[in-house]
Amino acid sequence: MNQLLKLENLRVSVGTDKEILKGLDLEVHPGEFHVIMGPNGSGKTTLGLTIMGHPNYKIIGGKILFEGREINKLAPDERARLGIFMAFQAPEAIEGVKIIDYLRLLLEKVKGVDRLKSHDMVIEKAKEVWFTEKELARDINLGFSGGERKRFEILQALLLDPKLVILDEPDSGVDVDSLSLISIKLHELQKQGKTILLITHYGRILQHVDPSQVQVHIIKDGKIVMHGREELVREIENKGFKKVFEECGCNE
Amino acid sequence: MSELTLQDAKSIIENQIETLKKRNKEPDWMTKLRYKAMNAFFEAPHNDPIITDPLDYIAKAEEEMYPEVKNLDELPPEMLALLDRLGIADVEKKYIAGLAVQSDTSIVLNDFLKEWRKKGLIMESMEDAIRNHDMMKELFMKQFHPEESKLAAYHTAVWNGGVFLHVDAGLKVPMPLHLFFLIQNSAMAQAPHIIIDAREGSEIHLIEGCTSPVLVRHSLHLDMSEVYVGKNARVKLSVLQNWPEYVHTRPMTRAIVEQGGEFINTTVGLGTGKSNIANPKYIVKDGGYVELNGIILGQKDYYVDLGGEMLLEGTGARGMNASKSVIMDNSTVITRGLIHAKAPKTKGHISCDALILNHDAKMETYPGLASEVDDAELSHEAAIGKIREEELFYLMSHGLKEEEATQLIVKGFVNPLLKDIPLEFVVEIRKIIEMAVSGGM
Ligand SMILES: Nc1ncnc2c1ncn2[C@@H]1O[C@H](COP(=O)(O)OP(=O)(O)OP(=O)(O)O)[C@@H](O)[C@H]1O
Ligand SMILES: [Mg+2]
Repeated sequence: MNQLLKLENLRVSVGTDKEILKGLDLEVHPGEFHVIMGPNGSGKTTLGLTIMGHPNYKIIGGKILFEGREINKLAPDERARLGIFMAFQAPEAIEGVKIIDYLRLLLEKVKGVDRLKSHDMVIEKAKEVWFTEKELARDINLGFSGGERKRFEILQALLLDPKLVILDEPDSGVDVDSLSLISIKLHELQKQGKTILLITHYGRILQHVDPSQVQVHIIKDGKIVMHGREELVREIENKGFKKVFEECGCNE
Repeated sequence: MSELTLQDAKSIIENQIETLKKRNKEPDWMTKLRYKAMNAFFEAPHNDPIITDPLDYIAKAEEEMYPEVKNLDELPPEMLALLDRLGIADVEKKYIAGLAVQSDTSIVLNDFLKEWRKKGLIMESMEDAIRNHDMMKELFMKQFHPEESKLAAYHTAVWNGGVFLHVDAGLKVPMPLHLFFLIQNSAMAQAPHIIIDAREGSEIHLIEGCTSPVLVRHSLHLDMSEVYVGKNARVKLSVLQNWPEYVHTRPMTRAIVEQGGEFINTTVGLGTGKSNIANPKYIVKDGGYVELNGIILGQKDYYVDLGGEMLLEGTGARGMNASKSVIMDNSTVITRGLIHAKAPKTKGHISCDALILNHDAKMETYPGLASEVDDAELSHEAAIGKIREEELFYLMSHGLKEEEATQLIVKGFVNPLLKDIPLEFVVEIRKIIEMAVSGGM
């Protein structure tokens, strides 16, 4: 079986020696839909940022394999060009850089799109996630509401057309309509055959997604302690992590 | 120590004054002023960390006459080629209306300027203006005094080139006027004098593109600007500096902003030259507003010191000093501003941001606020730092290379201060920034 992404006993620290991921294994095959859940501070964002190559997160053990190739040492842009994408939980604001200029640059530099076509492509995709042409003249994430930030992350995923889409809580802080939109977009990405790694606390984001495809993993204190299907999401929503961990004996 | 004796220097300056007098057919008052300034030169104080002895820069005058040029086509071919290289030819196509090119002492007037002349807009070379208008006596060297510094004195003694811009009361000029100084290898072409005289209720925007194709090495550029912003007049002066790396520049700018007037002074120092030290000074009357926007690109071993003194003398006067510096290589950039509230209900703000792109670059900032009243609102903020790792990661994680991401961030950083610069120039400025960032990486 050739995995798209494989994490082997991944150990990650931040700062001088604080170990956050403590030996994490995960296999993701092309086209699969994986959901990662876990209590606050359990290491979900750390996992995503480490796969993406954030310089603050040091791999102190284990491997990240993408399409069979170890990418532990690749720079973030090289990972992006391999087809890894991450929609951030707390995306950065960049003052002075207009969205339209940035997205066109992405298309031109990363996807090799012709300069004459990039403008229209951006405008068209932006509409799909409710950004008007006027809004594209704003600075990246500057003064964006929670929902705008999340929709902007999705827009970048749509434009970059990656193989692996990591989404870190695309549903937090968004209203009901935006949540539905984002869920629909997830379903579209899924239908296009993209591989999805979704970090979330709630099942509602899955409303438009084919549930039979969903695989769920629960992180606790830097390790994956449970696997399951869509029902596990519901169970956690009903009982909470504490209870679920007690019942599975995961606290030992 | 300079190799010149004081006597040598004196005879060189005298020689230059006589040459200028003859060449320009100057009225007596001007020649007298030049001699007065020459005498002041030897007495005046001097304080400059780089140019320790101005005598080193007093070159021997070369007489070099440029032919009268009546329109752009008549420019000498080497100048046309230069305009082309600078991309000015393109800009000009869009802005042909307001373009004036100064080739040392003559100004190229085009149809637009001729047309607007009838409405009350005068744009002339300073030499012509001194001959043509009596009002020059009331405007020339009224905001500076030769005695105040050796450089001011030297400028006054040997000034040549520059432009006089006068706008009649109530006249609003809708598009920016562009002025390009093409300073060629004449040792006499280093001290242009600029006067903007915007009368009550008028509006004007002057864009100066400074460039210096074949200057002699170690040369010194001493330009002086005196700006008069009449009651309720609005003046914008945007200066784009792109000097070669061996030129030292000491721009001297002062402005008086009358009641309700507004003066927006943007200076973009892309090629700042070997060293660039400026301390513009603005006097603001009742309800007037002044804004100094400084963009500084510190490269190589350049030394840049941008000050800015705002004297808020009238009730409700306001001043804003904002600078954004991008500093790399071994360069040193210093920004200092002083806002002095001298009247009730005045407001002032100094903001200074700097991005330091590498370890050896140095940045210092000294914001100064002074108040003589109890109801002034004065504030300052400063932020000096590297590019934030999180911003770089955000862009790189979407596929931009480190260099591309850095360029984007740097361009974004300076962007807010480019609001008054026409798009064509902004495009050019961005290109220069990109090249500097790549070169620095
Ligand atoms: N840059 C950092 N510096 C110090 N500690 C960090 C850093 N990043 C993460 N941590 C710590 O690592 C732990 C895991 O954080 P992480 O953000 O991965 O949690 P999470 O599972 O995404 O939580 P949440 O559900 O709240 O988003 C937390 O204790 C957090 O404080
Ligand atoms: Mg998180």
